[in-house]
Formats: sequence, structure tokens, C-alpha cells
Amino acid sequence: MAQLTKRGLIAAVVCSDSFMKLGSAQAKVFGVPDLPLLRIQHPLGGLAMEKVRERAAVALPQLVKVVKEKQS
Amino acid sequence: MSSLAAMLKAPGAMVECDDDPEAVFDFLCARGWSDGLPVIPPTPERVERMLAYCDRDFGETVARIPPRYGAATPIRVAANAVMAGCRPEYFPLVLLALEAMAEGPYNLYGTQATTHPCTPMLIFNGPVAAEVGINSGHNAMGNYFRANAAIGRAVRLALVNIGAAIPGTGDMATAGTPAKFTFCVAENEAASPWEPLHVERGFPREASAVTVIAAEGPHNVNDHESLSPEGILTMIAGTMAITGSNNAYYAGQPVLAFGPEHAATAASGGMTKAQVKQWLYDHATLPLSKFSSEGIERRFRRKLADQFGNAPLDTPVHMWAKPDDLIVIVTGGAGKHSQYVPTFGNTRSVTRVLKRADGELVMSIQDLKRG
Repeated sequence: MAQLTKRGLIAAVVCSDSFMKLGSAQAKVFGVPDLPLLRIQHPLGGLAMEKVRERAAVALPQLVKVVKEKQS
Repeated sequence: MSSLAAMLKAPGAMVECDDDPEAVFDFLCARGWSDGLPVIPPTPERVERMLAYCDRDFGETVARIPPRYGAATPIRVAANAVMAGCRPEYFPLVLLALEAMAEGPYNLYGTQATTHPCTPMLIFNGPVAAEVGINSGHNAMGNYFRANAAIGRAVRLALVNIGAAIPGTGDMATAGTPAKFTFCVAENEAASPWEPLHVERGFPREASAVTVIAAEGPHNVNDHESLSPEGILTMIAGTMAITGSNNAYYAGQPVLAFGPEHAATAASGGMTKAQVKQWLYDHATLPLSKFSSEGIERRFRRKLADQFGNAPLDTPVHMWAKPDDLIVIVTGGAGKHSQYVPTFGNTRSVTRVLKRADGELVMSIQDLKRG
């Protein structure tokens, strides 16, 4: 995602809340400190599909917001 | 060669604090620059002494350590080696291990940041290991021996202080492992009926090498009864066959560290190391039915569909992907015990040989002494 951002594309990373610090630190390390992190509830692994869809429903509006902001 | 004095004048290279040992320890812990145990303060004089056996440029980046991708230079690694309690003679081995871990197949980023409780297991072979005192006898994986304790600890401190493997931020291990303080052994080559690990991997016997693998802590195999190769291997295979191991799902390389007496029994019928690996691969299995119904459906039926898509429930699940993936060494002293060391799945072990800057093999640590 860092590479895509550097190429001028709109990119974001879905990140569960337990991993937000790692995601934020890695964005800085890779030179894209403002890389959007789409926050979802932890965990993502080991979920039934219904719960995965719930996470996606939380992430999607964040993604739409990022895209709109980047395009404006 | 970079001037040490000039490097220490760089912004941020030096910090000052009270020289009372407890004050130094408090200071370092407050900065997050410790493993929670007391350290030797890395003063410029001590760092300089630590570099007495380093024939590299002190400012050369020998590895990048994720997740921060900090530059592991000799001077930075030396500071960590001082803190860990290393003797200067250990330092080239600390640097060698970090270089090995930075090779792609090891997957240092993944092993640093994963939730799995893995840490670098350092396996040393060759004459330098014995020369500097890395224990390969009684309690080889335990406490007491300075070289084992300090070399492994120096590597761990470098992973934290240079690479930012900080729990909850850069090291996401759910519970971790006590092996994260240090995990450093030498192979007991003299007590092994087989070729040493570095020779098996194509290096000269007289070479000194480290093999690094991202490992869990060891699990004991107690067998005081078996008298035959099949007997001892049956007990070991039973210990290896577990449902919760990463090695059952991914392409990892678990380690079997035979105790010398178990090794002698296993080899008593003439089995080679390769034959031992094959035997254990064939017998360290669990039927698919031993896994949870969700695990069978989600892991085996879907993700491993090529092998298990329609497999009956009595289909054997091997504990690692290919027979030769099992790493076999001999270490420890007298007694009827061996150690099984599961590993992180998405990693491959790396063996690296100790060489001088001119590319020649190091035959003695004294080959590297400066001046």
C-alpha cells in the first residue's frame, strides 16, 4: 500500500484495533505517515463469514470517505 | 574505517545519565532499551572494547532490522552486545546471526511482528563455538553459560532496540515465550553419530557457522525405556504430533535436538540422518479427525484443498511439509531426553559461515582480532 500511495494511487489498509499502533508505525517507516488505516474490531482471523461481513460493513464507509477526500 | 570517536559525536549517538547502576537500569528501562533484566551500561569505552574482534567498518549497515528497518551497524550492535553481557570474542557471532536473520528466506519482518511466540534459535557449529565457550553439553538450552546467555540476549536486544520489536507495537506476540530472553546453543558434534548441521548443508567441517530459525521454546521428549531406533523414534514422533503447531499448516522447519544418548540409540541400527527424518515424517502424523470440525472445514478442506479437499477423516496429517524440512541436531549432556522445537511456519532457516572481511574462513576467533 505504501508503494501504491507513492505512485499516486488512493490506498488504505484495513487494520483491526489491536494492530493500529503497528499499522501506524509501519506507515511512518515506509514513508507514508498519512496512509489511511480503516479501523475494524479485532479479531479478523477465525471469524464466521457473518462476522467478517460485519467488519466489512464498518470498513466500507471509511474507505468511501477516504476516496472522496482524496478525490476532492 | 569510520572513526569511532567521530561516530559518537553524531547527534543522538550519546546520552547521559547518572552512573549509579540502578539509575542506569532505570534510565534504560524508561527508554524501552532493555529486556527487563539489568544490563551493563554501554559506555563509549566498553563499546570500543566490544569491537576488538570486528574487522568491519563500524558504520557499515550489515542488516536492516524490521519493523523499523533500523540499520544494524557494528557500533549499534556492539552497544547491545555490551548491554547483554557479551565478551568481545562473542561479538562476531552476534553480528553473524543478525546477518543470517536478515536474509530473505528467514522472513525477519514476519517473525518479529507475528502473534506467534517465535524467537531466533541460534544453532552454532564449528570450532569457534567451542573456542568462545558456547555450551553444547549439560543444560545446553538452559541457564548458567555466559556465551549462550549473552549471545542470544544481544541478538534479542538488537531486535528490540534497532528493529523496534516492542510488544504491542512492533512485536505482536500474543503471549511470547521465555526463549525471547535468549535461545542459543551449539551442536554437540563430538557426541553426534551423524554429520553436523553445517556439514549437512554443504559447508566444510572446519568452518564455523550459525543456523538461525524462528522457533518456539523447546518441548522435552522423555524416554528411558526404548532400546531400539524404532522405539526411540516412536516416542519422539508421538511428541511431535500435535494439533496446535504452525508446522502442521505452513511450510516451516521444526527442529529436533537429540540428546546424545537418544541419538546413539536412533543411530544404532545404522540409520542415517536423512533416514531418521523420513521415518519421523512418516510417523509423526495425526488423523484429520483429531482436528476440530471448524479447523477441518476452514483450514484443511478450503485452504489445503489440494491435499484434503475430499480426504477421509483417517487421512494422516504430517507435521511438516517435506521429510527434509526437519532440522536434526544433537546437543546436551548425559540423560535420556531430547528436545522438540516447533517453529514459526512462514520462515526458512538460514545457515551462514563466519568469514573474515577478505572472504577467508575464520578458523579461530583470534583471526578477527584488530591490530
